[in-house]
Formats: sequence, structure tokens, C-alpha cells
Amino acid sequence: MLQKREKVLLLRTFQGRTLRIVREHYLRPSVPCHSPLCPQPAACRNDGKLLSSDVTHYMIPDWKVVQDYLEILEFPELKGIIFMQTACQTVQHQRGRRQYNKLRNLLKDARHDCILFANEFQQYCYLPRERGESMEKWQTRSIYNAAVWYYHHCQDRMPIVMVTEDEEAIQQYGSETEGVFVISFKNYLDNFWPDLKAAHELCDSILQSRRERENESQESHGKEYAEHLPLEVLEAGIKSGRYIQGILNVNKHRAQIEAFVRLQGASCKDSGLVSDILIHGMKARNRSIHGDVVVVELLPKNEWKGRTTALCENDSDDKASGDPPSEPMPTGRVVGILQKNWRDYVVTFPSKEEVQSQGRNAQKILVTPWDYRIPKIRISTQQAEALQDFRVVVRIDSWESTSVYPNGHFVRVLGRIGDLEGEIATILVENSISVVPFSEAQMCEMPVNTPGNPWKVSPEEERERKDLRETHLVFSIDPKGCEDVDDTLSVRTLANGSLELGVHIADVTHFVPPSSYIDTEARTRATTYYLADRRYDMLPSILSADLCSLLGGVDRYAVSVIWELDRTSYEIKNVWFGRTIIRSAYKLFYEAAQELLDGNFGVVEDIPELKNLDMKSRQAKLEELVWALGKLTDIARHIRAKRDRCGALELEGVEVRVQLDEKKNIHDLIPKQPLEVHETVAECMILANHWVARKIWESFPHQALLRQHPPPHQEFFSELRECAKAKGFFIDTRSNKTLADSLDNANDPNDPIVNRLLRSMATQAMSNALYFSTGSCAEEEFHHYGLALDKYTHFTSPIRRYSDIVVHRLLMAAISKDKKMEIKDNLLSNKDLEELCRHINNRNRAAQHSQKQSTELFQCMYFKDKDPENEERCISDGVIYSIRTNGVLVFIPRFGIKGAAYLRNKDGLVISCSSDSRSEWKPGSLQRFQNKITSTTTGGESVTFHLFDHVTVRISVQASRCHSDTIRLEIISNKPYMIPDTELFHQSSLLLKSDLVKEVTRSVEEAQLAQEVKVNVIQEDYQKYCQTKGRSLYTLLEEIRDLALLDVSNSYVM
Amino acid sequence: MAGLELLSDQGYRVDGRRSGELRKIQARMGVFAQADGSAYIEQGNTKALAVVYGPHEIRGSRARALPDRALVNCQYSSATFSTGERKRRPHGDRKSCEMGLHLRQTFEAAILTQLHPRSQIDIYVQVLQADGGTYAACVNAATLAVLDAGIPMRDFVCACSAGFVDNTALADLSHVEEAAGGPQLALALLPASGQIALLEMDARLHEDHLEQVLEAAARAARDVHTVLDRVVRQHVREASILLGD
Repeated sequence: MLQKREKVLLLRTFQGRTLRIVREHYLRPSVPCHSPLCPQPAACRNDGKLLSSDVTHYMIPDWKVVQDYLEILEFPELKGIIFMQTACQTVQHQRGRRQYNKLRNLLKDARHDCILFANEFQQYCYLPRERGESMEKWQTRSIYNAAVWYYHHCQDRMPIVMVTEDEEAIQQYGSETEGVFVISFKNYLDNFWPDLKAAHELCDSILQSRRERENESQESHGKEYAEHLPLEVLEAGIKSGRYIQGILNVNKHRAQIEAFVRLQGASCKDSGLVSDILIHGMKARNRSIHGDVVVVELLPKNEWKGRTTALCENDSDDKASGDPPSEPMPTGRVVGILQKNWRDYVVTFPSKEEVQSQGRNAQKILVTPWDYRIPKIRISTQQAEALQDFRVVVRIDSWESTSVYPNGHFVRVLGRIGDLEGEIATILVENSISVVPFSEAQMCEMPVNTPGNPWKVSPEEERERKDLRETHLVFSIDPKGCEDVDDTLSVRTLANGSLELGVHIADVTHFVPPSSYIDTEARTRATTYYLADRRYDMLPSILSADLCSLLGGVDRYAVSVIWELDRTSYEIKNVWFGRTIIRSAYKLFYEAAQELLDGNFGVVEDIPELKNLDMKSRQAKLEELVWALGKLTDIARHIRAKRDRCGALELEGVEVRVQLDEKKNIHDLIPKQPLEVHETVAECMILANHWVARKIWESFPHQALLRQHPPPHQEFFSELRECAKAKGFFIDTRSNKTLADSLDNANDPNDPIVNRLLRSMATQAMSNALYFSTGSCAEEEFHHYGLALDKYTHFTSPIRRYSDIVVHRLLMAAISKDKKMEIKDNLLSNKDLEELCRHINNRNRAAQHSQKQSTELFQCMYFKDKDPENEERCISDGVIYSIRTNGVLVFIPRFGIKGAAYLRNKDGLVISCSSDSRSEWKPGSLQRFQNKITSTTTGGESVTFHLFDHVTVRISVQASRCHSDTIRLEIISNKPYMIPDTELFHQSSLLLKSDLVKEVTRSVEEAQLAQEVKVNVIQEDYQKYCQTKGRSLYTLLEEIRDLALLDVSNSYVM
Repeated sequence: MAGLELLSDQGYRVDGRRSGELRKIQARMGVFAQADGSAYIEQGNTKALAVVYGPHEIRGSRARALPDRALVNCQYSSATFSTGERKRRPHGDRKSCEMGLHLRQTFEAAILTQLHPRSQIDIYVQVLQADGGTYAACVNAATLAVLDAGIPMRDFVCACSAGFVDNTALADLSHVEEAAGGPQLALALLPASGQIALLEMDARLHEDHLEQVLEAAARAARDVHTVLDRVVRQHVREASILLGD
């Protein structure tokens, strides 16, 4: 059935000799054509994706078109695209893995109407390359030949358009076969898609940038950068230890000068280097961009440089301050790039004046990326003037060694600069978050629940599931106004006297079958994104707020973990996992639950389920509920104590307080005081997660998804230890337990903020917790440092985390495995799971960053229109927590802001404080000590700032056109700020934060109304997410690292 | 540039085969008249020649004679022109010794040696062109040659290699696939009984996947058997026509 052909290849060996290689090539009579018009679908074996049948023609791009215009082919409007194997292979060989992977993903994506036709393995489509025929010609000929075959295969029923950039081919083949048209790409867009404006613009911009590049290569400039070494040399160099491989990390605050290479895997151990490698200057960075995987050569020791510790602003890039840098560290230069990590970048066009100053090349424009770490990009466009006031997305095309800046092209417009929607869109693009609404195909998979056609429990499911509706008192405890209840609890006494504790989680996997459209979408999103004033759901609201949500009084599917506990010792005797049906009796909120626990039954009026009952039944029901709550709290206390004895990190309990204190200004959902009931619920969830982790690991030791929290590196604690020493405390960081104990002791009775700052430093030193696949890690590494558990996973929030969905599927498979039943769903293999974990970790990081950035955005907008000189609230009390050579870092407890304050301004004047403690700028010098900094004026006056001193600062906003605005701090007095009204300080800042968001949003709305621009009305109750957030103590611990520390302008922690 | 994609998303290998498909096999028996048995096989571009002498008296040292069964002596060699670059391969180098030993083990398991005590059977195999799966080609060629010599065997010995890429087992690896560095397993099977005459693998492969790869190799070996069986029958038919004349 197969036909054998031989291909002769001439390859060049590394020594430069030519090598004759004969490769076999097998042809078969039928390969899948993926067309609905196929006359013999059985022979073609068309499984998987088919082309849609409602297109007017099929489009076949030539190899050159696929290479250059792939971005346009990605438009979902373009349908019926057939990629020929020949074209795909050229992309793979000539454009590298990244572009090829993009193409592969496109082909895999069910939403795109495009297929791959393996023409080179088809008996009649394959053409051997003739002697003397150039590769390009042969490729075009093969693709045309395949197109003709395909046309006849579909029985001439569907016209085919082959799109090529080769003029000769258009001439030669244009009229050869009826029904197969050969035209150029521009022509194709003009004729078939005249209305698709975005595609036309993109096409123009690609064309132009290519033309520029060609021109440029003709004019041979002097080289700006050293050429990159060839890949073989790099690989050999890495193996021999001459070069080092790592990820380039640009210092945000010194983007022009400093970048660091974080070592990867093996090279770290071999070279014996502990720290990162410094890359000093753009020359040494050699065209690599933040995030690239680069290969570095170490410089000789006498050329090593130190990192600068002075505060500086990004604009003053070339000014090397006279301060001596810190001790030299390993320094290197980039010799090659292994993997480019270019993505879409948000940029700003220069304003009109700047354009003119750029001179003769009006066509080429340097645009400034929003992210400081990305170099300026050269764009060729004629729309520069029109795009001036907008945030714009661009892509980088190339960076020749002859060019100072990379070349790029324009992709699309996001929104106006300074406009709330535009800025939010910027944050989303910068974090690679795409939040298109759910498509129709995805919504079609959703179950229906309308008043006319209510959703019901199906009888089959009722048979298969354990029914807990009548037997168990199930209730949920959540923040007020929460819509997506994904966990509920139950507790009761069994007939044999034991206790039974149950955790019931929404059964999302029942509604989201693996590799359905909605599953693919949820996997891409990986998590629900929370921004300061809005959220983007992972699942459509019909699931997240309705059918999956375990609301009170309705029947819902759940996945339950039920333990049998000893009556008195609470030892776990038995555990059961499985699918259930529940009906939650109460939907409590935290405050009410706590009141009930405290014996304060006044809140009964607030519980809708109890309100309308008569006195007697109400009393009975209430007693039942209070008993359950009390028992639950008892159990949770016991489990918690047990975990503590095993050496659990005592941080979390207090961490919440830190979190709150720092975050209550920022985050309005965290209640003011941690109630015990929070801890109770969290403890039950941790218990459930832990047991599920053990279960799936036992069933699938090589492909279970768990979560690890590696112990922190000791060297990260050095700053913390030094700061504590300044106050006379000793911090023991050897283990989680000693750390927690010594933090407890480091308490200054006069100043509670000291302790808070120390704790936040400790948190910052922690590593991030990560998802991983058990097959790729040794068992000792599974350990969770923060919770002191040997195995842990996420199981309890499937509505807003994709990892939990995966864990649910694993658990279901484990249950069927126990019952010796066939495992229905195909489980992910270790490799796929590892890939997925990387994706989810990545998305979680993006979610945290976007949340942080949006909060900063709101902070800046809040302070923006205030006059810092007069406005009362712009002046506040701050605490110095770190000393630099020309300034100090200050924390403002009132707003939870951290930022830098300069002691020497741009003119070289230093700060001095007169007798009434007002500060002024005067000529003088600064002297930095271990834990204090002294500023001496030429007049002999001097003022000293110590660590943990209270000062008065003025907050203002430094506006920036190209980047996000930043908060700026200025010390106006070296005395603590006296709050005129002491009430204000103790007032719940919870209100303050919501005020902040409310005010900003309102002013935006007003501005928009004034302009009479039609915009989406921002929801009134934006400050309520209506979704659970940060319920478990553990999630708080995880997020604290990124969120609690709002370093507004300076941190030097890479 | 990206490395070669050994298995595409559509399930094609570099040379256009699917994961379980073999390369084209062509074989002939009785290519040399002077030897007792001989055969030539092509598996794709891997070409091997096998020659069998015996059973005959022990040559050389008498002490090597076995009282209860025949001695199987195998020698492997590969031609200088068998690979892309011409390379002299002297006799008795480590690689060909190892291959000879493997062949000997394989055929000691298959030939009914106890029928010829105190005698010797010589199997000489030469690889003319190497394009992956040399061991398998050698075993298959030698089987045909032994059959040609009329030496009694338990069954055919059919060999095939298998590899493992992207969670899929690939049967009958070509040189490109071998050179990519993944695990490779060589299996010699007695197809009728399903017994394994030799199994060799020197790369690391996760235990969970072993069964899958083994299964693929065994299926491929059975496919090889059908082809060889047809070749033998064809040969016998031709020979009987000649004799009949």
C-alpha cells in the first residue's frame, strides 16, 4: 500500500565537508483531507477537525505567505484555510520553533477554520525535486500541484485560491487549471476581504517593515552589536562550561544599564556561581530582551562591576552618580540567544514635538514601550500622528546587529492614554491576558437554566451519586454578597457515636468535559482574573454563579470528602471521596457565623433562611446550626494544633494580620479583623486539599498535580536580619518554626509597625508556591514549607482555578480505579501535565501582576487630581525601612504604599531640617551608615535618619506619558506626622479603600459623560466582587508576596 | 533552528510512515551457491547479507566441542561503505563483537542445537548499507539463511526495533530516528510461541512505558514474520519447480 521513494540530500557537516544522505520517503494513496466535501471520507480517515462547509472557497497560502503573514492568517474571519505540509515545514526550518509552534497551535485550535494537508506523503501530490531546481521553486510547484489535486478530490465543487508572493508563479499557473486561482496576497485581501480593515492595516504594516529591512540590509552600516555565535558553538560552549545559559532579567529601575542573568538548572551547579550574573550596558546585552533565554560569557575578574545602590529614576539613564557601587559581582556579556521570548508590547508614540526632533526619517518612528524593561522599538508607519494619544500594541520583527533599536510593526490600538479603560487594557496586554467574551460555540455547550426551563437533577446522576440532601445539614460560609460558592461544610454525629465531617466542593467537571470548547477556554484562562474594580471569569456565569455555585436551598452536584472522626480525640478513622448531591441549608457570611459562635443570636435577623420561621422551629434550627458551627470550630482547632506540632509555619495566623494591615487600604474584601471562623473554614479546606493530594498521588504517582512550596533561600533573609539587628532583635531563620518564634519576639511595644515591616520582609524572602506534576520531581521536594504538609494540592475552588478542575478529574479517575472500573477520561501524561502546570503557574503570576498593577493605577488616579501642597490627605506619616546611598525607602501605613524618598535632589542639593523640623533643600553631602543616613549641609547643620524612624511625607503623582504614573514621596519633616483627628487613624480603612475606588471611578464616569462618549457604564457595586476571594488563609499567604508589597518606585529586589 | 520533528501532530514520521508501520522489506534466499545457506534482505535502506555453513565438524580447537549440542558461531561485520562517510571498520572491534554475541544468543535460542552434538554451525552476517535497525536486519537475514541451509529451528526468529517519542511507540526506527537519541529497544521474537529470544535496550525508559514499546516491537516482529514467511514459500515454490524440471 505504501510506495517507497528515495530522497537524496546533500548536507554539510560541521567540518565543512558535504555529506550525501539518502532518506526514504513513503507515499500513501490517501491522507486525511479534512474536507466535508470529500467523496470517500472512509478512505481519507477524516477524524478530528473538518473545514466548515459554509465557505465560498478554500484558501491555500504559499510557503512565503505562511512565513510572513501568519498573523493575518490567524484572524478568525479568514476561513477555509488549507496549510500544505510543504509550507509548514519551511516555516519550521526557516523561522524556528516559536513561529512553528504558533502555526501548530493555530491548527490545533478548534475555533480556527484551518487544517493541515500532508501533501508530501500523498502519492499523487508529491513531486520529487528536479535536478537544478531551486528549493523555493520546488516548494511553490508542490503546493500548486497539491492544490490542483485537492480541487479534483473535492470533485471540482469548491474553488481554490492559492495565494503566493511569487510573481512568476502567478504568471505560470494563474490560468492553468480552471477553478484553481493563483493570486497575490494583497490582491486576495482586496478581493475577498475588502471590509476586514484590521487585516489590511496589519498587512500594510508588515509590508512596510519588510521593505525597511531590505533597504537597511542594502545600506551596510557599521555594526552596533557583535554578531551572535552560531547555535552549535553555543551548545558546545555550554557543555564545556565556557558559556553559561540563563534567563535575562532587566532591572526595572535601570533598564538601560543593568540586567541580570538568572542561571538555569545544570549550569548553576557546574560553574559554582551563587548569585546572578550582571550584564552591564546595552552593548553587553547584545540585542537580548527581557525574558529571553540567553548564553553568557563571563568577563575576566578585573572587569567585574557592582550593582548600584543609589536610588534613581529611569529617565536619567546615562548619569552615573558618583557613588561607589557595591562590591563587584560576576559580570558577563551575551554571546547568543537560545530562545527569544518576544510577545506583544504596549507602546506610546512620541508626541508631536518629539517627532519633529527625530528629524528626517518621518517614516520611522521610535516608540516607547510601557514596560521600562523593553527597549524602544522602531516602527514604520504613516499613522504616527493619528496614534499619538493612544496606547498601541506592536510586535518586534527583528533586531539586526547594525541597528541600535529593534524593528517592529504596528498591530492594533488599545485606547486613549490616561483613560481608565485604555489603561486597564494596557495592563491586560502586558500580562498577556486575553479576555474576549465566551463564544457562541462555547456557550452552546452550557446547560440551560431559565425560569421557563429550569435545570433539574437528572435521574441517572441521582442513581450514581450519594444523596446527602435529606441526611446532612450542609451550609456554606463566605464573604457577604458572594455569588460563586464553591465549598460547603457539614458535620454530624453518626449512629456509632463518631463524628462525621464533610467538605463538599462544586462539581465543575460534571459540566466541563475534558477537551470540550469550554474546557479549552478555561485552560487557556487558567484562573479568574481579579482587577481592582472588575473581574474576568474563567467559566461563563451560568456555571460560576448559578449551576456550579452551591447556593442555599437548591439541589446541586458536588464532590465530597467525608471523614469519620473519633468523638473525643478527633482522630481521623476513615475517609470517603465521591460524587454527591447536596442541598445547602444556609448560606452564611463570616460575620454572622462568628456572632453565632460567640453566642450572640441577634444576627438571626440577618440570616434569610431563619428569618421567616416561627419562633419554635427557628429555635430548634438555630440550636442545630450553632452546634454544628461549634463542633466545626473545635475540630479545626484540633487539626490546626496537630499541624503546628509537626512544625507548621506559625506565620500564617499573623500573616493575615500583616496582610490586612497592608492590604486593607488596597483590598476591600479582606475584613478588618481575622475572625476565628475564617480560620475554621480555611483549616477544613486545607485538610480536604491535603487528603485529596494524598489520594491522587497514591493512585497516580507519576501524573498527579500537586502544589509545592520550596523552603526559602537563606541569603534572602540577610536584609531582614540586619534590619532587625538595628532594633536589637535577633531573627533565627533556620527553620519555619524558629523564624515564626523569633518574629513573635521581635515586637517593639512603642511601635507596632516595626513588627509588621519585619514580617513583610520575611514574606518577601519566601519562594513562590508552584503547581507541579509528581512524575517530574523527587518525592522529598513535594513538601509544602508554609503549611508544613508533605503533600498538598488545590481542590476546593474549581470555579475559579483550572488546577482544581484537573485535580477533580484525577480524583474521579482515582475513585474509578479503586472500584476497578475503567477510567473514562484520558488522564494527562506527566509531560503534558508538567506543561500545563507551567502554563497555570505562569497565568497565576500574570493574574497577580495585573491585580497589583491595576491597584497602583487606582492609587495614582486617586492622588492625581489632588494638589499635594494643600490637600490634607496627601500628607501622611511614613516609616523608613531601608537606607540607600542617596535616599531612603519609606512605608506609609495609612495607604499601604511603599516608595522611595530622595535625600539629594537632581540639582545635587541635600535635605536639611530646620529647628521647626520643616525640611529644605540646601547644598551639602550625604553619609550613609549601616542603619542610618546623615545629611550635612555646607552650613554645618545635619540631620540623621535612622531605620524605623517616623517621618512626614507628601504624596504626589508623577505623571508619565509612556508608562504608568507613579507615586512620588517627599520628606517634608523629620518628625512623625501628627494626625489632627486621632479617630481618623483608627477608622476602618476598609471604607477608605472603597472610597478610593469609588471616587476614581466616579470621576472617570463624569469625565466620560461630559465628553458625551458612549461607554460601558461601570457597575455601581464594583467594590463587591460578588465572588469569593482570599477566603483561605493559605491563598492570602501566597498572594502576599506580590500584593502586600507595593513598591511604588524602587525596590532593587529583582 | 529547531530540531527535527520525529512525529508530527498528524501522526506522520519523518519519512511519511505512521507510528506502527514498517519500512519496505525485500528479501531473497539462496543468493550464493557455494555456501550451505545464504540470504539477502533490505529493510528500507538497511541492507544485509547472511551466509551459513554447517552443521560441520568443529574447526580449530577440538576442546570447544560441546558434547550435547552444536556450537553456534556468529560473526558480524559491516562494509566500509555502509554509512554516509566511508569508515574502515576492522574485524574484532568492540561493536561487531557485541553484535556477534547477540546474534549467537539469539540463534542458540532458536536452532535445535541438540540435534547436532559435537558439531558447529557458522553464521556470517555483513551489513552493506546501514540505515537504522542493523541488528533486526541481521537477525532476519540470518533466519532466512539458516532456513536455506535446512538447519532445523524451533521457529522463525523475527526481529524488529521500536522507539518511543512523544508518548507514542514507533516501530522499526530509521537512522534519523535512532540518531535523535531517544530510547531504542531491539526485540527478537519467536512468533508462533510468542517467546522472546533476545531483548535489548540501553537507554533509559520509564517502566510504565516499557509495555507499550514492547507491544509495538512485538507487533512489528509479527509483521516481519508474515513477510519472511511469504519469501520462504516463494523460494520453496521456485526451487521445487526447478527440481521438478
